[in-house]
Amino acid sequence: MKSRVFAARTWKEIMRDPLSYIFCLGFPLVMLVIMSIIDKSIPAEAGMQVFRIRNLAPGIVYFGLTFVMLFTSIQVSKDRTTALLLRLYASPMKPVEYIFGYTIPMVALAVVQMVICFTVSFGIGLCVGDTLKITELLLSMVALLPSVFLFVGFGILFGTLVNEKAAPGLCSILISAAGMIGGIWMDIDGLGGAIKNVARLLPFYHGVSLARLPFRKTADGIVEHLLWTVVCGVLVYGLAVTVFRSKMKKDIR
Amino acid sequence: MMYGIELKGLRKEFGSKTAVKDLNLQIPEGSLYALLGVNGAGKTTTIRMLTGLTEPTSGEAYVMGHSISSELDEVKKLVNISPQETSVAPNLTVRENLEFIAGIYGFTKAKTEVKVREMLVQFSMEEVAHQKAKTLSGGWQRKLNIAMALITEPKVLFLDEPTLGIDVLARRELWRKIEALKGKITIVLTTHYMEEAEHLADEIAIMAKGELMAVGSPAELMGRTESDCLEDAFVKIVEGGSYEE
Repeated sequence: MKSRVFAARTWKEIMRDPLSYIFCLGFPLVMLVIMSIIDKSIPAEAGMQVFRIRNLAPGIVYFGLTFVMLFTSIQVSKDRTTALLLRLYASPMKPVEYIFGYTIPMVALAVVQMVICFTVSFGIGLCVGDTLKITELLLSMVALLPSVFLFVGFGILFGTLVNEKAAPGLCSILISAAGMIGGIWMDIDGLGGAIKNVARLLPFYHGVSLARLPFRKTADGIVEHLLWTVVCGVLVYGLAVTVFRSKMKKDIR
Repeated sequence: MMYGIELKGLRKEFGSKTAVKDLNLQIPEGSLYALLGVNGAGKTTTIRMLTGLTEPTSGEAYVMGHSISSELDEVKKLVNISPQETSVAPNLTVRENLEFIAGIYGFTKAKTEVKVREMLVQFSMEEVAHQKAKTLSGGWQRKLNIAMALITEPKVLFLDEPTLGIDVLARRELWRKIEALKGKITIVLTTHYMEEAEHLADEIAIMAKGELMAVGSPAELMGRTESDCLEDAFVKIVEGGSYEE
């Protein structure tokens, strides 16, 4: 009940911030359209696959999740620096209720973002003659869920550890990492070598690859991608919960 | 006599620094008690211990008969705090801020509606009810800050410098609101404004360097120090040592 009340508050705070629309929705959609236009300009002989709508759509949706991380970190750090959390610490709320109060609206925001981005992608697919199937879109959304928790976890973690000014900086490192070695903007499998080896050690490449599988009609590498994505999601989210609880205890020592 | 708050050797140390030194104090239920002291005297730390925001190093305190060490969950249901810094959700309206706090304390929808209306009327905030908190002036934010503490029907209310940084008219208006609460709940007020303590408090406790230096009504403290005003009495007590009877 208290989590629900806190979650509703967090949701309203985010929804009333125009930056949420610009970064969580506007930016991914603009990138989706621009990259689709670029894809149309690339000659077929180049064999460039990464900007084809069935590769681009799950990649852009994954990219959008990194902005959910950014907003989570800003919200948590902002709450910690204002006296609002001080008031709430004096209330009967438990640490786990704060965690749910941040997680529920951020997961909801991520799902809304996925639905809108995939809907627009479906439209683009119709325009470019590569129709995306509803089942592909739905399966990709399911595949993206562990990554949602990964990024919400990173957001809570950064928001707990650093202040409102430092949190976006930390997030931007992961946003860049997810974009580049996650394989959203370049073909990691095509590059191979050291880059692919590094990419395979991080969750982003696996998260993007997992989200692309339904569109590729193949299950190649599903176990590796699924395992990395789920394990990293659980680990990062679990770490965020632990750090938040310990920081809260420290605050009231 | 039933005490709203009872401190028994309450102590708080931060490393080698002792912020509050073995405080013993009884605050009668329903009274308005002012905690005065210069910066670093230990007022806010004392309030933080009584609201569960800081754990005492040693000693004990009881709020409405409940131990802050072993019954903190019960204590948290009975107290609320209006912190020194304005603690509102900036993107929520005045009404939503009140509803939010009522929800956190587990009020039903019907009770929340009644209490929100009551607070809006009590603090004359109907005209700004749908305005976002971040757009309010300092005075309005202070009123909302107190209303958010009061909406949970606390038995003990801690007001940590409630009129800090607001103009004289807004301060006088807040005084009237606080005065209206006297006798209904136990209020502990910290302030740097001597006239505020003199005007509002039934009893005053003066702290310096974490220790309790004097306790009494404004008139008693002025009498004991042979001062014409509370400010002089305060300075004599803080600079000159204990004036306990």
